[in-house]
Amino acid sequence: MIHFDRFELNNGLKVIFHKDPSTPMAVVNLLYDVGARDESEEQTGFAHLFEHLMFGGSINIPEFDTELQKAGGDNNAFTSNDITNYYETLPANNLDTALWLESDRMLSLALTEKSLEVQRQVVIEEFKQRYLNQPYGDDWLLLRPLAYKKHPYKWATIGKEISHIENAKMEDVKSFFQRFYNPSNAILCVAGNFELEFVKKRVNHWFGAIPSGKKPPRILPLEPEQSEFRELEVERNVPANAFYYAFKMSERKNEKYYVTDVLSDAIGREKSGRLSIKLKKEKQLVSEITAYITGSLDHGLFVITGKLNEGVKFEEFDDALWNCLEDVKKTEIDDNELDRLKLKIRTAREFQEQGLLNRAMNLCFFEMLGDANGVNEEHLIYQSITPRALRSVALEILQKENCSLLKIKSIKDA
Amino acid sequence: MLDRTVAPEIKEVEEVKFVSPKIEQINENVPFFWINDVANATARLDFYFDAGTIRSKSLVASITAGMLFSGSNEKDSTTFHNLLDDAGAYQDVSVTHEYAVVSFYGLNEQMIHIFRIFEEAMNFVIFPQSEFDEIINERKQKLQVSLEKVGVLAQRAFQKSLFDQTDYGRFANLDDFDNLLRSEIVDFFEQYYKKGLAKIVLVGDIHQRDVDYILNQSKKWGMYEVPQFKKDFTNSPGRIHVEKKGALQTAIRIGKVLFNKAHEDYISFTILNTILGDYFGSRLMKNIREDKGYTYGIGSFVSELQHTGYFIIATEVGSEFTEKTIDEIRKEIEILQTELIEKEELDLVRSYLLGQILKSADGPYATMDLFIGVQNHNMDLEFYNRYIQKVRTIQPDELREIARKYLGWDTMNIITAG
Repeated sequence: MIHFDRFELNNGLKVIFHKDPSTPMAVVNLLYDVGARDESEEQTGFAHLFEHLMFGGSINIPEFDTELQKAGGDNNAFTSNDITNYYETLPANNLDTALWLESDRMLSLALTEKSLEVQRQVVIEEFKQRYLNQPYGDDWLLLRPLAYKKHPYKWATIGKEISHIENAKMEDVKSFFQRFYNPSNAILCVAGNFELEFVKKRVNHWFGAIPSGKKPPRILPLEPEQSEFRELEVERNVPANAFYYAFKMSERKNEKYYVTDVLSDAIGREKSGRLSIKLKKEKQLVSEITAYITGSLDHGLFVITGKLNEGVKFEEFDDALWNCLEDVKKTEIDDNELDRLKLKIRTAREFQEQGLLNRAMNLCFFEMLGDANGVNEEHLIYQSITPRALRSVALEILQKENCSLLKIKSIKDA
Repeated sequence: MLDRTVAPEIKEVEEVKFVSPKIEQINENVPFFWINDVANATARLDFYFDAGTIRSKSLVASITAGMLFSGSNEKDSTTFHNLLDDAGAYQDVSVTHEYAVVSFYGLNEQMIHIFRIFEEAMNFVIFPQSEFDEIINERKQKLQVSLEKVGVLAQRAFQKSLFDQTDYGRFANLDDFDNLLRSEIVDFFEQYYKKGLAKIVLVGDIHQRDVDYILNQSKKWGMYEVPQFKKDFTNSPGRIHVEKKGALQTAIRIGKVLFNKAHEDYISFTILNTILGDYFGSRLMKNIREDKGYTYGIGSFVSELQHTGYFIIATEVGSEFTEKTIDEIRKEIEILQTELIEKEELDLVRSYLLGQILKSADGPYATMDLFIGVQNHNMDLEFYNRYIQKVRTIQPDELREIARKYLGWDTMNIITAG
């Protein structure tokens, strides 16, 4: 159970306070309700580029990191297709430094040409390092536009192509900031050994006078229901043939989301999942196979991925996989197996909650979903899942016409 | 009116509490460390075996570690993994040069069940041929993928250049997979696991009765002798390039054989290393990422071994920036050797490091890791008080002296892959 208090400033900033008397550290986590899905198709990669610019100095503070380091703290941030999340960890008695820094960059950024130019270059190197210069590195750049035709999930957070980053202009960056970076579009969490009244006072002191701004309306193109099997085969200089079967699944707030998550564990666990037992151990078709879900807020993907053994043809594997999935749809999982999956989920949750930063991040995330207390209710949803519910989700999503298949063919095999 | 240009007053870290775990001896060579003051239901149980890669020809240590749950006459591998799942356990083995560490993460109430599964696997594992073939196949493909990465190519070449002709400079190549015998795994297991337990580490609120059981049953795996590790390494500087056709980025590794915590200059050197490349505001990050944009990231580190350690600078840069980056790294090192660090920067590094040490002593898991960090070198927690003292008092001239003594450019191994 994670205890918390919640209050809202006059300018609309939602604040969560989580007290932990056992730690000498404090965490400040600030979630902005903006991600790559909020970009326009002609300017992708902006939310992420912007995250980099947030460290380039704000209106009253030339160097963000320097000030935080002086206070003994460190920080980082990440951007996903759905959100942008910033956090600081520092000794609790320097909490004010983190609030000062975060509030100043919410108020206004310095945004110099130099920092834009350098961060454009840094992000281009990140693009190369993570997506272009790794074997299979561009898999998601290929899979997204195959699985999504209209919804902005069709591009990755890094952007659709490098040129979008290269062409980013100062005026675009500024308008992005004005649109998304304001109190009414943010959720703040302060965690540490403090009293509620003290936290209210300090947060109000630093954030209270920031103009509210308007929460930008979100009208995203709807992804039409998929009704045909899609397939893309590309050749790459990679050692082994790789496959990605991506099935559309429910949105994050749907209770089926949790069922689908457990389904991915049931069939996709590395050593003891059904796919691994059937296709790796028994039939020796693959060297590795797993299944997982993307965890997206809008309709996400249930992905089965792995690599073929040398000499195995895609077609041979494909038949075996669909047979295996037919079995999953035909028979209910037994209660023992479901119980062990639930216990593993509980173990994972307990370990996650061990960290102060994780708790703060999760509280903000669930508050954005609608209620921070969701963090405490999630495990009840998991525990209530039945074999029947699993089978019903399997029947619904593991359909050929709901599937997009990416095959990466090793050129050595061509 | 709120003046945002003035930073809030910064309060210094006054005291860091270092808590020692409970210590027991399983036999005279094998200690047990335990922190039971854990606020939630989590527990972690680690078994350290004298079964690192230096103990045998390549692949043997890592394949053995990967096969600990490969099955007995009674239970096959899937059954063992299902049993671990039944206990809600996550299991992990990490193999370094000098150790293999088998770790279990679970709920405290489950830890005794988890241990019993491990105990059965250890006592009765038969390393079935089919499981051996499967892991060989899987690992071979993984290595093929790794060898496509410039970072991996540079790291391998770097370690080879540092430790060539020793057990520390050995790497698996693809044809090693074809020459490995199942019997080599069986022999290695008998020698380095069945008689190679070096320590047990437990974090978690577990019943004393269960702990007694675990220690009692593990006793038979304990080492009879104190293991020996190589002491003398010679540094052989030079420049090596590994060609990778079509690469968009070049991986750079620069460094040398150095020392570990046991050395008198270790603490001063780590402070110098922080300034150079070990935090976001470091000189390398500021210059090569934040000013020039050559890379997504660059860092420098000290990596420790039982009787030595090495210093390394690591980055991946756009291929067209390779030589410029090496020049800038060299310049930054020369500045450390010739100029005195300004008070403002040194004060910042002092505060930053004190904040980090406070963080690294926060919570039972962090506390245990901190303790093991010194225990590995037969030192105690007093080390961290000396460290704090040094962070507070070190002067610019000492830092410059350390840079001159240990960062000579002509002593460096410079590796590029791309």
